[in-house]
Amino acid sequence: MFVVSMHAPEIASHVRAGQFVNLGWAGGPLLRRPFSVYRVDGEVIEIVLKTVGTGTGAIVAMETGDHVSCLGPLGRGFDLAGGATSAVLISGGLGVAPMPLAARDARAAGIRVTWVHGARTAAELCSEPDGDEVIWATDDGSRGSHGTAVGAAPDAEIVLACGPNRMLAAVAERWPDAQVAVETYMGCGTGVCLGCAVPLRRGGYDRACKEGPVYRAADINWPALPSQLHYAATA
Amino acid sequence: MTKVDMAVNIGGLRLRGPVMAASGTFGYGTEVPLLERRALGAMVSKGIFLRPRQGTAPPRIAETPSGMLNAIGLQGPGVEALIRDYAPQWAEWDFPVLVNINGESASEYGELTSRLDGVPGVAGFEINISCPNVEQGGLYFGNDPRAAAGVTEAVRKRTKLPVWVKLTPMVSDIGVIARAVESAGADALCAINTFVGMSIDLNSYKPRLSFRTGGLSGPAIRPLAVHLAHQAARAVHVPVIGIGGIASAEDALEFLVAGCAAVQVGTATFVNPRAIAEVHDGIAAFLESKGFSSLAELPRYLPRD
Repeated sequence: MFVVSMHAPEIASHVRAGQFVNLGWAGGPLLRRPFSVYRVDGEVIEIVLKTVGTGTGAIVAMETGDHVSCLGPLGRGFDLAGGATSAVLISGGLGVAPMPLAARDARAAGIRVTWVHGARTAAELCSEPDGDEVIWATDDGSRGSHGTAVGAAPDAEIVLACGPNRMLAAVAERWPDAQVAVETYMGCGTGVCLGCAVPLRRGGYDRACKEGPVYRAADINWPALPSQLHYAATA
Repeated sequence: MTKVDMAVNIGGLRLRGPVMAASGTFGYGTEVPLLERRALGAMVSKGIFLRPRQGTAPPRIAETPSGMLNAIGLQGPGVEALIRDYAPQWAEWDFPVLVNINGESASEYGELTSRLDGVPGVAGFEINISCPNVEQGGLYFGNDPRAAAGVTEAVRKRTKLPVWVKLTPMVSDIGVIARAVESAGADALCAINTFVGMSIDLNSYKPRLSFRTGGLSGPAIRPLAVHLAHQAARAVHVPVIGIGGIASAEDALEFLVAGCAAVQVGTATFVNPRAIAEVHDGIAAFLESKGFSSLAELPRYLPRD
C-alpha cells in the first residue's frame, strides 16, 4: 500500500470524508481513475493505492514535484450530522481510503470512533487506522480477530464502511442504515457517462460518481453489483 | 481572443464553431459544471426514447488499449422528463441543442419527433440508428439502407428542424447508407458511432461487460473513423460531421480536411472536461498560424467519386 501526496489547496479545503478525486497521469490509462481522499494536511491531499498494473506503477514511480491531473472533490461523502455519539468505521483492505477523514470529521463532531480494519493477512493491513479504539481482523488470524472486519465490529449509532462490495453486502445485512462507500468502474467521474451504474433495490441505477459513492446500505441491490473489480482504485 | 471566423453552416443551422459535444458524453448539458461551454458549437443530448429506460446491468464500461468499451443501454428518463427538466434550460443557452432520438420502430422515432418538435430549447434532431447496446432497434436500422431511410423519412415528415443521422461503422459500405438517408431527407450525417467490440475477463472466463459486447470509442478508432467519415462525405452532398476518437485540435483537423464540415468530441470529454474548448481553440490557432482568416478556407481533401 502506497500513500501519494498531492498539493491541491482547493480540494484540500473543500473535501469531505467519502468524496474522491479522479486522477489522470502520464503513463497512466486513458480514463481517469477514482481515488478516495485519504488524508488532508494543510494544502496537501493524500490518496492510497496498491500497484496492480503498469498505470498505478507509474504513479508510484513518480518523483516529488511531478504533476498529475486531479479533478475533485467529487461525489457525495459520509453524513455525520444528526447528533450521534458513537461511530464504528469498518474498512477492508484498500477500503481504509476514506476512513481517516471520516475519523477526523467524526471526532470534530464529538463522536467516539471505533475503527475496525481487516485484511487477508497481517502483512496486508494498513498500519494507520486511528480511533478511540482500534480493532484488527485478518482472514488468516495472523493479527487481531480471526475472521472478517464486519464480524469483529461492535454496534454503534453510526456505521460507516468501505471495502470490497462483498464485504459491504455483509454490512448491509447487519446494519441496513450503515453508510457504505461502494467501488465501481468509472468513466468520467462527473456524471455524464453513466458508466458507474449502481443497482438500487427500488429498481434502476444511479451513478456512483454523483449520487454516491456513499449509499445507505439497504438501498443497494447487492447481488446485482459486481464485486470483483480489476483495479483497486476505490471511490 | 481569436480573429479567425470559426462559424459553420450545417444544413441551414448556423453554429459559432465546428466543435460539438457528442451524444452520451455530455449528459443533458447540465452535469458538467467544470466544462467551458463558450467553445461549444452545439450539443447533442444523451440518447432519448419515448419511455424511461433503466439501461444495462454493470459492469458497463471496460478500458481497452487507447479506448473504452461501453454498454450503457441508453439509460434515460424518457421524453416527458427531458421536456420538463432539460429543454427549458437549453432554451436559455447561447448554442443549439439537438436531441439524439431512438426507437424500436420507425413509427416510434416519428412519435418522438412529433412530441419534441416545437418544444423551446430543441434545435434539431440527431437520429440514432447506430447504438450497439440495445436489444431492439438501434444498430438494426443503421446497417440496412431501406430501414435507415424509413426511419429518416418518419422523422423528416414530422419536423422542419434540422435532421441529422448518426451512422454506424458496422457496415460493408457506409456510402450506401449515407446516400439512402440523404435521399430520405437528412440535413447532415454524423459519422461515426462506436464500433462493436468485446473484451474477455480471464478470471471469470466471461466478457468484461455484462451486455457481452460494447461500443468501442476513443483514440483507438480514430483512423478508422477518419476513413469512414471521408467515405461518407464523398458519397453525399449534405454536410458530414466527423466523430471518432478526437482528443486534440490536430485530430479534429484531420476530419475537417478529410471532408467533414464539423466534428463531435466524445470520449475525450470524460478524460478532460475542457477537451472541447481546447480542440476549438487549437483549430483556431492552427488556422491563424497558416494564415487563414476563416475555417472555410481550410483546404479539403475530398475527391468526388
